[in-house]
Amino acid sequence: MTEVLAGTHARSRRRGPGVLLGAGITIIGLLFAAPFLYLLISVVRSGSVLDVLGSGAIGRPLLNSLILGVSVSAAATVLGTLAAVLVQRADVRGRRVLRIALALPLVLPSYVGATALLAATGVGGMLPFIPRPVGFWGAFAVLTIFTYPYAYLPVLARLTMIPTSTEEAARVLGRSAWPTTWRVLLPQLRPAIAGGALLVFLYTLSDFGAVSLLRYDTLTRVIYSSRLLDRDLSLALGLILAVLALAIALLMRRAGVGAAPPLARTRWQPTITLGRWRSAVSAILLLPLLIGVVLPIVIFVYWVLRGGTTVGVGYSGWGDDLSFLVSPLLGSASAAITAGVVAVLVTLPVAYAVERRGGVLSELSGSVVTSVFALPGLVVALAIITWTLGTPGPIGSLYQTFPLLILAYVLHFGAQSLTGTRSAITAVPVRLEEAAESLGVPWRRRFLRVDLPLLLPGLLAAGGLVMLSTMKELPATLMLAPIGFETLATVIWGAAEDGFFAEVGITSILLIALSGVLTWFLVLRKEFHDTQT
Amino acid sequence: MRRRFQVLLGITTVAALTVLSGCSADSGDGADQPPEGALTVYSGRTENLIGPLMDDFTEQTGIPVAVRYGQSADLALQIDTEGDSTPADVYISQSPGAAGYLADQGRLQQLSKKTLAKVQKRFEDPSGHWVGMSGRVRVMVYNTDTVTDKQFPKSVFDLTGEEYRGKVALAPANGSFQDFVTAMRIQFGKEKTQQWLDGMAANESPTYANNTAIVEAAARGEVPMGLVNHYYNERAKVENASTPTENYFFPDGDIGSLLIATAVGVVNGTDQASEADKLVAFLLSEQAQEFFANETFEYPLAEGVAPPHGLPPLDSLDYTSVDLGKLGEGFGETLQMIEASGLNTN
Repeated sequence: MTEVLAGTHARSRRRGPGVLLGAGITIIGLLFAAPFLYLLISVVRSGSVLDVLGSGAIGRPLLNSLILGVSVSAAATVLGTLAAVLVQRADVRGRRVLRIALALPLVLPSYVGATALLAATGVGGMLPFIPRPVGFWGAFAVLTIFTYPYAYLPVLARLTMIPTSTEEAARVLGRSAWPTTWRVLLPQLRPAIAGGALLVFLYTLSDFGAVSLLRYDTLTRVIYSSRLLDRDLSLALGLILAVLALAIALLMRRAGVGAAPPLARTRWQPTITLGRWRSAVSAILLLPLLIGVVLPIVIFVYWVLRGGTTVGVGYSGWGDDLSFLVSPLLGSASAAITAGVVAVLVTLPVAYAVERRGGVLSELSGSVVTSVFALPGLVVALAIITWTLGTPGPIGSLYQTFPLLILAYVLHFGAQSLTGTRSAITAVPVRLEEAAESLGVPWRRRFLRVDLPLLLPGLLAAGGLVMLSTMKELPATLMLAPIGFETLATVIWGAAEDGFFAEVGITSILLIALSGVLTWFLVLRKEFHDTQT
Repeated sequence: MRRRFQVLLGITTVAALTVLSGCSADSGDGADQPPEGALTVYSGRTENLIGPLMDDFTEQTGIPVAVRYGQSADLALQIDTEGDSTPADVYISQSPGAAGYLADQGRLQQLSKKTLAKVQKRFEDPSGHWVGMSGRVRVMVYNTDTVTDKQFPKSVFDLTGEEYRGKVALAPANGSFQDFVTAMRIQFGKEKTQQWLDGMAANESPTYANNTAIVEAAARGEVPMGLVNHYYNERAKVENASTPTENYFFPDGDIGSLLIATAVGVVNGTDQASEADKLVAFLLSEQAQEFFANETFEYPLAEGVAPPHGLPPLDSLDYTSVDLGKLGEGFGETLQMIEASGLNTN
């Protein structure tokens, strides 16, 4: 065991990527750098960044963004980690369902989630005794509830790879359940936790939907509200956000990695028995679900049953024809699955370079890929418009086609994929490769028999996260999709715009259902079987 | 060993790029793919509110139309970013602000005299680059059971009075409310507008997330009155004719009943100028204007079409005093003023 563990510490032998890999990750890095270069060039051209910096217009929003980012990522990380450890290690009631359900708050677009929670609370809401979430505390609570799965999913994936034997050994030696769990598990979970915290932080920086509805003035909110009125301000703030994100990504470039011992596929057994606390803890685990999934669904169902208006051609309530949702449903599913697969393939070389080769080029590519996630979708879309139409040659003909839309998703959500692909790479111990090599196992066979099974959980988690984010993406979809291409998110947006709440409700329920099904099939089912049987 | 892994990664990268480019061939599979050479419209109005008209236009003229739906402001920014390569031929906006932005950037064509003649001058761009299509009016919705006629104010400025304490609901995060505040600031100045906002906040005016929530709260009797766009109550009436709410229009051109126009313009550099003109003309035709009046309960802005049943005539509303093109200006300042009033925490 110790030998295998030691073998995974491959960093001492890092010598940088070779020529082929180096060229590959340079191209990928440049692709992801496109939004940054767009911002940089636009700002330099307008020459106003110094005016903006000097005007003091950025101080408060920048501070607000940082305060919100740090507090949300702290809270969401604690919540996500605790939830993952409990469903994976404790004898929680209903853990089969909880494992999947706890990932679901991620699927609601933040503006839909915020709209539902605003409708549920305060004077005139279903729960008038709960104050309406507005300002800092509102944004903090809502974003925490809708982003903790960014920490929950990687930690959960990590836990399925760590055998319970160490914890059991420690307990045999007389330690009680909780201290053991923390002392033994935490060091092994730390990289996954840090990776999740980074994703939550970057997402919070990029979010516009929740902060605008809940009225908290972050950098992204100002980037949006000034986008027409003061282009220079908007672009300069975009650049500041980008620099901030890149700096954080470089600082935390070690996050999201860590060596996993192999051979984790053992029968699932609780190592924490909750005893008389079992029901209480299980009930507390339901809380984020109640706020992040059940309450919004109740509101959506209420909207559907209450019905709406017959203005235009919108859905007006229970009993109406639902066939208008078929094409958006297929659009969402095809875009999400394609983006998930492509993102994994594109980030895999970067993940390999970062984990196995190291070097400045690898670290830089990795950090650029990660930091695009912090940019608002609008900025990513505008950058792609500028580059596609501004580049001479045949690239312009890709404008507003499906492949370009997929590229937009991959650029924007590559960070999520990279977290997963990196943990997938580390799941394959270097020693194991060498052992197979010395035994003369052909590499193809070794890849299929040894590497792929170890890579798979990480790759699925990577693709799954991108898929869920793609499903709710809005600004890039509206601007870059082929005309006539609809997704559930664009339907929800249109209905919300018109105040057709019955249509928002039914479409949101469908979005949650589709996300739940895809999450189950593609991300969790495999691990589930492995750990259950 | 590592080299093999590297080769494998290289292969997957190539495979990824192949998939990416292979998809371009498949992109025509989408259900509603418009035919080649269609007139391209970027519409800030949603499909629910304008899609049927586009179908009618194609049916009547044989000109295929492809519509990209999105936020008015984002689409304006997109057209500006696309520059001369823009696929857009026609731009439709939910508010004059975004259309004014595009006109200022030189991205909209001068409309023909014939088109401009269909709409009164006050509903179009002074330089003739966009024309008003339909209108939304700010009103005060009220509960007919709890509010008697005596309580109606002459002006929206009266609502800061003691007799309205806690009685008038607002939606400070709503775009139309913010447009209205901007208009007030342009017409009456920053000081008076801030006073009004502060007064409404100090008067404990309850705030809601959006217009619909206010109309519902008024119908339940939870709050007697609220400032909203006029068509929300019309829609509520369609759903349930016995809803105990009515709209009150502020009299004598008071800014409380400001009209906010939706706008349409032709994008500069279009290679289908005559088709684009036809579409703009169609949107101002009797048929389209009646759609706005009857289906979306908006004010038709082309002359000669009656407003929705039961609404006061266009001439009685406030519009002359505010340059609609300026609604977008200083939007950030408007938000700051609303924030400063403390309304957001009511």
